[in-house]
Amino acid sequence: MSNQHAFRGTQGTVQVALPFDLASIISDWGKVRSAMLKEVPEAFSRDEWAYLVSFLEKQSLTRPFEQSFGPPEHSPAEISLIARPRGPVGLWLPNNVSLLGPLVLIVVSLTGNPIRMKAGSRSEDLTGVFVDFARKHSADGPLGVYLRDSVHHEVFSSDDLRNRDLARDSSVRIVFGSDEAASAIHALPHPLDSTGISFSDRRSESWLDQDSCNDDTLRNLIKVFAIYGQAGCTSPSRVVLLNSDRTNALALRDRLLALWPNVIRRRPPMNVASDNIRSWQLARAAGWDSVLVTENRAVLSVGDYTLPTFPSLMEMRLIPATPSEARSGLPKNIQTIGHALKDPLASLQNLDGTGVARFVPLATMHHFETVWDGQDFFAQLFTYTRVKR
Amino acid sequence: MSALLDRSPYGPRDEAAFLSELRSLTEHHLAGCPEYARIWNSWRPSDKVEEFPFLHVGAFKSVQFTTKAEGLKHQRVLKSSATSSGTSSQIMLDQRSAELQSRSSNAILTDFLGSELRPLLVLDSVGGLRSGAEVSARIAAALSLKPLSSDIIFLLKDASDPKSMKWEILLRALATGDSFLVYGFTYMLWTAWAADHMPSEVKAALRGKKIDFVHSGGWKKLEHLRVSREQFDASLTRDLDPASRVVDFYGLVEQVGVVYPLCRAGFRHVPVWADVLIRDPWTLASLPDSEGQLQLMNLLAWGAPYHNVLTEDLGKLVPGECDCGRKGKRFEFVGRVPKAEMRGCANV
Repeated sequence: MSNQHAFRGTQGTVQVALPFDLASIISDWGKVRSAMLKEVPEAFSRDEWAYLVSFLEKQSLTRPFEQSFGPPEHSPAEISLIARPRGPVGLWLPNNVSLLGPLVLIVVSLTGNPIRMKAGSRSEDLTGVFVDFARKHSADGPLGVYLRDSVHHEVFSSDDLRNRDLARDSSVRIVFGSDEAASAIHALPHPLDSTGISFSDRRSESWLDQDSCNDDTLRNLIKVFAIYGQAGCTSPSRVVLLNSDRTNALALRDRLLALWPNVIRRRPPMNVASDNIRSWQLARAAGWDSVLVTENRAVLSVGDYTLPTFPSLMEMRLIPATPSEARSGLPKNIQTIGHALKDPLASLQNLDGTGVARFVPLATMHHFETVWDGQDFFAQLFTYTRVKR
Repeated sequence: MSALLDRSPYGPRDEAAFLSELRSLTEHHLAGCPEYARIWNSWRPSDKVEEFPFLHVGAFKSVQFTTKAEGLKHQRVLKSSATSSGTSSQIMLDQRSAELQSRSSNAILTDFLGSELRPLLVLDSVGGLRSGAEVSARIAAALSLKPLSSDIIFLLKDASDPKSMKWEILLRALATGDSFLVYGFTYMLWTAWAADHMPSEVKAALRGKKIDFVHSGGWKKLEHLRVSREQFDASLTRDLDPASRVVDFYGLVEQVGVVYPLCRAGFRHVPVWADVLIRDPWTLASLPDSEGQLQLMNLLAWGAPYHNVLTEDLGKLVPGECDCGRKGKRFEFVGRVPKAEMRGCANV
């Protein structure tokens, strides 16, 4: 048992000084995970809960350290850098957020930094439900102590005075939300040596080529899209069909149309079904070739970059494009490209200078990591002491 | 122009005549409104009303549909009140439709309220009339009562503030007669008129007067306040002439000209120049006897294709004769389509 953990990084050995033994915390999360396998709280969908379960696998919990500091070093000879938890973390979660609260909590718990989380006042509060569940099942181990003493979860609005307290008392401010919301929070008085991390308005795309469009790929595309539709920053707001044309795009759309009910078997909530009729009509009015999936489960539209789009919940927009069109058509706030390409490296080279933060296989578009939106936020949860002899 | 408008609104229905006029109107919009034509480019004329092309009510929040045709003169834009989405529907009004809509609402309201002319007291501000090319849903609803009014008096200083009632104006109006019409949004009528802060001299002046209250806009806010319809009606009519009434009407800006007042038997009746369908939200199948999404149609809208609108309201058709004596179709308004939040990863 040790609170000192060494990793072999690019700058030599990094010693991470935690307030607890990392193995114990990971083991305690394992107990929570076991309980999660037996019970799904009502507030969570089964997909959401299953994702959290997988996120709590042991290798997933050690990965942030390895990504930020390098592989574990069991007999360190010389320490080059000491990493210590930076201090209290303030986390601002937006409305309609899905799993970000629980995911960030899990990651921050590995550092020992206390965390105070502000949830949106207009949304279903998954974070609070998860905290309660984890407290109940983590008993008196280091995780239980951490969750009891160092985790605070509150629900208040963006104009509540507690935002000011949270900014003032945090060594790290993590903000999920709009650009405006992030700017407003970072503008609140805060300690000079604190750091602010923003995860703001981003959009993602899927890039596919004809060679990769087998049924498995299309099933993955449907699954990835159907989780959040157009509401997720990691959800493909556009599906770009590289080196394709309109005829092929329409054929692909019709394959998706046929596959969809076999992949997503449940019919949508009534308001989503209704919104899909609205989206289908608006898309067609704007010139997209749109069809409704059986039982109004989604809208599939084929068009091009010039056509207007309207806010929609479940409209998948398919666009045939050359690599050059795909590159120039990227939104400025591009986050993830989920690819299913015969030669992904060739496309990656095409993306130099575009600001793409993640270029990952299609099926992993939603997988949360500690390198996010182009920054290693896990590393920012520590302060560093340079050590030289 | 609809010949059906010459008939009694709640007489026997002539489905063949309705379909024939609906077909002409639909073809007119397909020819003159490119967006509508793009949506329904594969539509072929049908003899089934459920197969006629409709627009989803939410589409009017994003596109200002306009049908252009010879002789059509677009005048103003009718805007719905602010919704939870923060955007409002925009309906292009034209002179020809306005005439039909006026005749329609006059016939419907006369059937429910009688034809006696009396002062109309409106719980809104006169400023709503002065916003140039746009007219709000509240003002439009109030003005639909104009044919039944001898005078129109606006009672609020600030349209959004129920506490800005001009009690002295009301007192002056009450002194001029014994019979009045009062129009307001449901919530406004409750908070501005039925609320406790009505001055005692106004209460005294109201005693024994015959007042027909007409309200629209829905019960959502009053449900939050736990106010029942019975409580609402009783509070409004307390100490008034026993012949006073409270009439709740259902209508949409996207169906301007056709309102659906609640009859004394608790149902909403469809005038012969309109039709109502209930749709399964997932299959869009027409439901003859179960609950589903309301689709409203009328023969009045020529300037834009808002003649056939799928709403986000739920309702149910009710078979049989109504105790109120009106003929034709009737339905129950059940409520709004329930909202289930679509979760994402940021509210951006």
